[in-house]
Amino acid sequence: MISEFCDWLSTTGISIAFQSSTWFVPLVQTMHILNVAILLTTVFVVSLRLIGFTTGRQPVAELIGKSLTPIWISLGVLLLTGILLTVTEPARELLNWAFRAKMILVFVLAALLGVLQNRNRRSTTFGSESSGADATARIMGVALLLIGTAIVTAGRWIAYVV
Amino acid sequence: MLSEGIREACRWLQDLPLSVVVRESEWLFPTIETLHVLALVLVVGSIWTIDFRLLGFGNRQRPFSHVAREMLPWTWSAFVLAAAAGSLMFASKAVKYVDNIPFRLKMLCLALAAINMLTFHWLGSRRLAEWDTGTTPSSAKFAGAASLTLWIAIVAAGRWIGFTT
Repeated sequence: MISEFCDWLSTTGISIAFQSSTWFVPLVQTMHILNVAILLTTVFVVSLRLIGFTTGRQPVAELIGKSLTPIWISLGVLLLTGILLTVTEPARELLNWAFRAKMILVFVLAALLGVLQNRNRRSTTFGSESSGADATARIMGVALLLIGTAIVTAGRWIAYVV
Repeated sequence: MLSEGIREACRWLQDLPLSVVVRESEWLFPTIETLHVLALVLVVGSIWTIDFRLLGFGNRQRPFSHVAREMLPWTWSAFVLAAAAGSLMFASKAVKYVDNIPFRLKMLCLALAAINMLTFHWLGSRRLAEWDTGTTPSSAKFAGAASLTLWIAIVAAGRWIGFTT
């Protein structure tokens, strides 16, 4: 069924128009990577603070609060550019196991970020060094770090597996 | 345009046992490329955080020196990894890459980004104490805008290499 959907999508006018351009895919992929840069760096900075690996003058709660805006905006742009790339080459993405794994991981990342946002709103000392060993914050930090790395890895391997 | 000496050096590099292993392995090149992309996005993300602060976006109350001190360890450690992985990728197909226009543009933009950063470091940041908080001077804004643009060009040229080799 997915295969038939891919066949149909790849013959639509918009998909053919994107496919016939030599610059469209590299341009959209460049925008995609630039937003991955914003997302991954922000997630990594927050993760390492939550784990307690790094310290900073900015309180953790304030860092999380300020980081969530660029995180959600970049995720939105990634979704949009990702849709454009999928419309251009549906079979390359939707039938690829690395792409499917990436999508599941993106969903888990977004859910974790939602939990983090919620926790941060409810407790101003979440993840704070002064609150001692906050096990939940540490686990969340490790999970965000691993999932972020896995998303980029899966994304790169789409080009090499089927 | 390139001298025969450079081509000869590329051939020698490409024939090194390590280069051959990277080129002929099914999984080694994609793995090194994944490390390159992971490191590169961290370089770009951390440099942009500094550039955005120089341009006056985001929290202006946060001293520039604090932002730079927190982000530069990310930039340098990720850059070392990106450069190491990039060198291995280059060595595996040096003869092909050295003639690739997007590859040459990427190297040119990298050199310009380095010059911009060094110029800002030696000249622009001398009066850092005067503008550490609040509005940045136009020279700092220029350095930030130049860096932002050059890193977009570096990523774009890097992506175009994959479509032209």
